[in-house]
Amino acid sequence: MLQKKVCMLGSFAVGKTSLVRRFVESIYSDVYQTTVGVKIDKKNVQVDEKEVSLVLWDIYGEDDYQKMRWTYLRGASGYLLVADGTRKATLEKAVSLERRVREEAGSIPFVLVINKSDLIRDWELDTALESQLSAEGWSILRSSAKTGEGVEESFSLLTGKMLG
Amino acid sequence: MSDVLEKALAEMGFALLEYRGNGEFLPIATLPTWFSEIWAETRNSSDPIPLTRQSPFLESFLLEAEDFWNSPTPAGCQSETWIEKALSGREIPVQARALLLDGNQILALLSPDAQFRERVRFLQTARNALLDHERLAREIQKKEILLHCIVHDLSQPLSIMHVAMDSLSEESISERSKQFLTLGKHAGDQQETMIRQILRTFSDDLRASLDAGTEGNVSSDLLECARKTTTSLAPTFEAKGVHLAVSSLVDLEAEWLVVAEESRLQRIFSNLLENALRYTPAGRRVAIGVEDEGDFLKAYVDDEGPGLPRDLRPEQIFGLFMKGKQSGGKAGLGLYFCRITVERWGGSIGCVTLPEKGSRFWFRLPRTSGRTAASPFDAPDASNLKSAKRNPGIVRPLRILFADDQEDIRTLTAYQLKRSGHKVVIAKDGKQALNAFRSASFDVVLLDQEMPGMTGDEVARAIRKTEGGKKERVFLVASTGNTTSEDVRRLKQAGFDDVLGKPFRLEDLNLILSAAPAATDTSMPSVLPGAIFTELVARVGGDEKLLKRMIHTFRRDTPKRLAGIAEAIRRKNPEALASLAHALKGSVSIFGAESARKHTQELQDLGRGKELSRAAEVLALLKEEIAKLQANLRGYANQTPARSKSNHAKRQRPSRNRGKRRR
Repeated sequence: MLQKKVCMLGSFAVGKTSLVRRFVESIYSDVYQTTVGVKIDKKNVQVDEKEVSLVLWDIYGEDDYQKMRWTYLRGASGYLLVADGTRKATLEKAVSLERRVREEAGSIPFVLVINKSDLIRDWELDTALESQLSAEGWSILRSSAKTGEGVEESFSLLTGKMLG
Repeated sequence: MSDVLEKALAEMGFALLEYRGNGEFLPIATLPTWFSEIWAETRNSSDPIPLTRQSPFLESFLLEAEDFWNSPTPAGCQSETWIEKALSGREIPVQARALLLDGNQILALLSPDAQFRERVRFLQTARNALLDHERLAREIQKKEILLHCIVHDLSQPLSIMHVAMDSLSEESISERSKQFLTLGKHAGDQQETMIRQILRTFSDDLRASLDAGTEGNVSSDLLECARKTTTSLAPTFEAKGVHLAVSSLVDLEAEWLVVAEESRLQRIFSNLLENALRYTPAGRRVAIGVEDEGDFLKAYVDDEGPGLPRDLRPEQIFGLFMKGKQSGGKAGLGLYFCRITVERWGGSIGCVTLPEKGSRFWFRLPRTSGRTAASPFDAPDASNLKSAKRNPGIVRPLRILFADDQEDIRTLTAYQLKRSGHKVVIAKDGKQALNAFRSASFDVVLLDQEMPGMTGDEVARAIRKTEGGKKERVFLVASTGNTTSEDVRRLKQAGFDDVLGKPFRLEDLNLILSAAPAATDTSMPSVLPGAIFTELVARVGGDEKLLKRMIHTFRRDTPKRLAGIAEAIRRKNPEALASLAHALKGSVSIFGAESARKHTQELQDLGRGKELSRAAEVLALLKEEIAKLQANLRGYANQTPARSKSNHAKRQRPSRNRGKRRR
């Protein structure tokens, strides 16, 4: 079976851990528990009749207290870039992370997931930036770890991109 | 290794393993309990352990460790913490360190449980605090928008009333009519003071506490509010040829009391109806109705427009600054206001496309019994509030571009400006204003803040961008109901030179226009001719005493202001420089000293741009001009303008302190 390393990247509290838990264990908790360090999970998926084992590296969200360690990207086949639709700054952070990944590790397949679509009324997204990123060829999906909306699709889309 | 040392390391939680190649490790000391919890099959094993196959993290770390073992560095090789899951489900933090001891490649693993928990606690607290802060900031923003919506709506009709009464007072009317007019103006003054008081009080409260939005239980009649709003909007619907009616399905005898404050409930209906009108073609129908849903009562507005936009989810339509592409709507605050207000009362709001044609906007509110409605704007006793003292301005003929989306304000204000001798071009929205600005020259651009398409802020930024770094900048004035210090700071940042608070009066406007640069250089000559004295007297309303007081004040204060500017430059304090130069600019403008005004403007710009290298040079030029002006003003003391001209001017001047003077 093919094995692919996938990193979860994004600001703190955007829902990276919740997306992984929803995807792997189909569970969700409303209580925010910050990730310190790295958590690794596995899940097998089938894409285009190929079975792939995804090794999901849930990496702590970068902020003033924890800086991203770029060696975690070593061997990664792709990454999910996660932003929180209710916090505009997290989308800007995602954009800067993508640029830094390109500088540190070259072009790796990725999908931008804008999470918390269940709170869409409170979204403060910069739609102009979103459109601009789409025009630049970014794959962008909206998701909700709470309801499960867009979660499977995000990982499937990334897996498809990783398989080329 | 001695047994004691082995046990000591295990007791301290260390697992020491020697690398045997191929991802396998051999324990060289007793393994601690946590290690066996994660990798149970290693218990009591003396065989090499294929750790990298069992831990993707270690597989990755081994690459770094191998680099270190091959080329050791003083910095060493240590991982950050990662989490391994024990068979029991317990999450165990682990750290790894590569060691090279007597040529042996050693991996030391440690579970830093206590420190890790402490670190998690610290980070959790810090991040929760950050999230709380973000939430708080958003909440304050929401409330400020709500407040600004309300103030805007209150100010708009008052502006029209002020300008209309000002216009009327300059017509030939009977003494009795004048008395009525005075009464009306007095009431308008009181109302204006109250609005400003509300804005100031609420604005301060928002910053001081989040509790400002909590309200006691109030109750309103949903159907009654729907009817009242329908009645008040009927003429607007008629003008567009859209039929507006209360649905025939409504039970008129039932009790329709809900948790809501009446004036804001009417505004919700009003926003929903205006929204429906925007999308409903002439000849079609808009219906308003209410329904009983048990513990909640529901109100709805049905239109026969094109239905909801396909690219938006219904929830998004109630988002902040959300506008339909061809709606002709305003700032995108109307439906947002509806949502946050309804939610604050414990209700919900939504919209759907109707199966046959059009859309339905609805909201539901908790049912109540009994009526304790109270206005949220219980105003303070107006008699205790004093209107701000106003000074008249000197108004020269200017080329003015005036943009406001309210037709009545446009018409009345343009009429008055033209009457005052200005050339006026009007624009009904931001884009039109920008186009007009680009196709002609203006001395002043007066922009309403909330206009469809482009807001006043956006137009101001575009104008400043068009001007580039040119020295000659148009005088930009913002017209807005929101005039807190924070609003003024924001507007100045957008490029405005001054702010005209709504509701405004002609004298407010004239005062601001007096500070605007004239179309041509109107610098005062070295000796003031009598005609100019006469003009000055005329422009201060024919009040010679007032003019003399102004001159006296100017001569007394200006040296101090100049000294302050020099001190700001010496201390390299750009904010103080900008502020002092701005104040002096207002003074010299009153006397029409254009060259001095230009120098103060330049100093203000230098201060704002934090570029002080030329400030001393400009100050020297300013001092020269001020000296000339001071000399001229000194000479005025010996001259007396013709009484008849002065009296004529008195008749022509704009009204000032009207209530008091006429009594």
